[in-house]
Amino acid sequence: MIEELFFLLVFPGMTFQVVCGLGFEWLDRKLLAMFQRRVGPPWYQPLADMIKLFSKEDLLPKGANEMVAAFLPLLSLSAVLTAGLYIPIAGFSPVSFEGDLIVILFLMSVPTLAYYVAGIVSVGIYSILGGGRSLLQFFSYEVPLLIALSGPAILARSWSVSGVMSAQAGLGPFILFQPLGFVLAMVGLIGKLKRDPLDIPKAKSEVVGGSLTEFTGAKLAFWHLVMNVQAIVGIFLLVNLFLAWPQMLHPLLTAGIFLAQCLIMILILSTTSSVFARLRIDQLAGLGWRILVPLALLQVAVVILMGV
Amino acid sequence: MQNRISIPIGPQHPLLKEPLSMMIDISGEKVLGGSMRLGYVHRGIERLAEQRNYIQNVLLIERVCGICSHVHTTTYCYAVEALLGIEIPPRAQYIRALMCELERIHSHLLWLGILAKHVGLETIFMHAWHDRESSLDIMEAISGGRVSHAANQIGGVSFNLDKAQAEMIRSTISNLRTQVEGLLNVIETEPALHARTQGVAPVSAEMIRQYCVVGPIARASGVDIDLRRDDPLPPYDQLEFKVITHADGDAWARTLVRAQETRESLNLCDTIMRDMPDGEVLVRAPRKVPPGEAIIRSEAPRGEVFYYLRSDGSENPARVKIRTPTLSALSMIPAQLAAIQVADIPVVLAGIDLCVACADR
Repeated sequence: MIEELFFLLVFPGMTFQVVCGLGFEWLDRKLLAMFQRRVGPPWYQPLADMIKLFSKEDLLPKGANEMVAAFLPLLSLSAVLTAGLYIPIAGFSPVSFEGDLIVILFLMSVPTLAYYVAGIVSVGIYSILGGGRSLLQFFSYEVPLLIALSGPAILARSWSVSGVMSAQAGLGPFILFQPLGFVLAMVGLIGKLKRDPLDIPKAKSEVVGGSLTEFTGAKLAFWHLVMNVQAIVGIFLLVNLFLAWPQMLHPLLTAGIFLAQCLIMILILSTTSSVFARLRIDQLAGLGWRILVPLALLQVAVVILMGV
Repeated sequence: MQNRISIPIGPQHPLLKEPLSMMIDISGEKVLGGSMRLGYVHRGIERLAEQRNYIQNVLLIERVCGICSHVHTTTYCYAVEALLGIEIPPRAQYIRALMCELERIHSHLLWLGILAKHVGLETIFMHAWHDRESSLDIMEAISGGRVSHAANQIGGVSFNLDKAQAEMIRSTISNLRTQVEGLLNVIETEPALHARTQGVAPVSAEMIRQYCVVGPIARASGVDIDLRRDDPLPPYDQLEFKVITHADGDAWARTLVRAQETRESLNLCDTIMRDMPDGEVLVRAPRKVPPGEAIIRSEAPRGEVFYYLRSDGSENPARVKIRTPTLSALSMIPAQLAAIQVADIPVVLAGIDLCVACADR
């Protein structure tokens, strides 16, 4: 009982995910600052931001549905935290089962839908625009992302993340067999996280703050936390599916390799967001359906032929 | 069309740092049209100028614009000097031109940064504004002010350059050139920036003439006008430079025109520093201005600045009329807003390089 609670609340559950999420935000902001010749924030800045937001007044425009608006960030946060629970950390996975990859992918798409609803219930003009855009974007990146992530599962003949990892222990990291799938998954992840260059739903100069324009205080703090935890869960997932390393003799060595891989992923994400301009929504839809989906299907076809 | 909604942009909006209010009608992601309201920073400068004497007005006129403050005082001083019938020393003319070109560099780099920020390229924004600091540093070192330089006086300029300063300007400009070349290379080759700006709200040369638009916007639509060549104030008649034009008239063409003008201005700074004659920088101007009229035009970073001055022989000017390039460009916005997407609004507004403070005065 105590062991389960520890898994749920401390590691690899809530506390670990939240700390990693805040660490991710700091590292991302620091790297971005370095690319832009700025100093960047100190390490405790994300936490300080959260504490400050919690102390702020929490209000919504007249006519907004307060109950739903308060419920949405909590729902999203619990969805991404649950998804994080099923993802092995450096090979350690206490609650894995066959088919958990599908559960993870389902839980990871809950925040996007909640983000759309948040735009509708908070009744601002920019919120509605941003919400509509987030749904359009969802349809553009989600399909290639799902196809790309099913590649490793098909190759490993298992729909559990641990199964994919143990298959890689024999064959070698799957990025060697499906580099294209990895790139597509990265693009999908950027779209899911609404990061530059796919930050179309929250583009400041176009729709102010997107769905979250009217959110303040603790609700906004939770939304920021959702984005950070979602990012870190996505990074863990991609590392496990494409870059899994065979277990080392010493568990610390395994953890070190896992950490290094995550840092490389963060570096890739930060670099992408600093060097590309934002796409237009029609350009993204064109990219998603004309280029990414055919490439993803091609990758899956190659994987199936490899498996035969 | 169903679902027609109006979104307010400004006077406070992340897109516009300028106090300008727009209501834009959209349907989904399509823009149907828009209207705009001006006058948030009207300070009555033309009226104030009639209540102050000619010397006080130099400081007042500097406050018309926060970016191209020097070109306004330069034009005003040349107008007063035309009324007085005096000619300022050649070295003063060269120093005025040097400041004008430095101002153009800083204005264009500022603009490139803002365009990049609007299309989500914050890195370019940071780098462009970093490079822009060098040109501000030069102006601060020689005049004492980064934004309001107080460089001009009626009869010349208020400071002279010594050897050490001239050397500092040369070396800073050559450093700046390296930085700017790197930056412009990125801008000219970055595919996503190209995809976001090419073909957005193109403006024909016909339309430019119809709305009397001037400056880089007109040159980007293939209208070959530049007052530095067409009606030069001294010393531009002795300087060699290219006038950059482009045929397309879209936001991408405007980006290229401004990028290449920055290069051209850096070259001009070098030429000015090389050819600058020695001598005095200030002649004594009489306090009393004879009755008469003067019209002086000059090329500001955003296009033609027009000054009309009428004197009735008293201490104060009887009329100061200022025409700035932004007002005509603003009048073109509603026409440009038709048939674009919501995501293109920032590109269209940024492409114009608004200076609402100039337009409102």
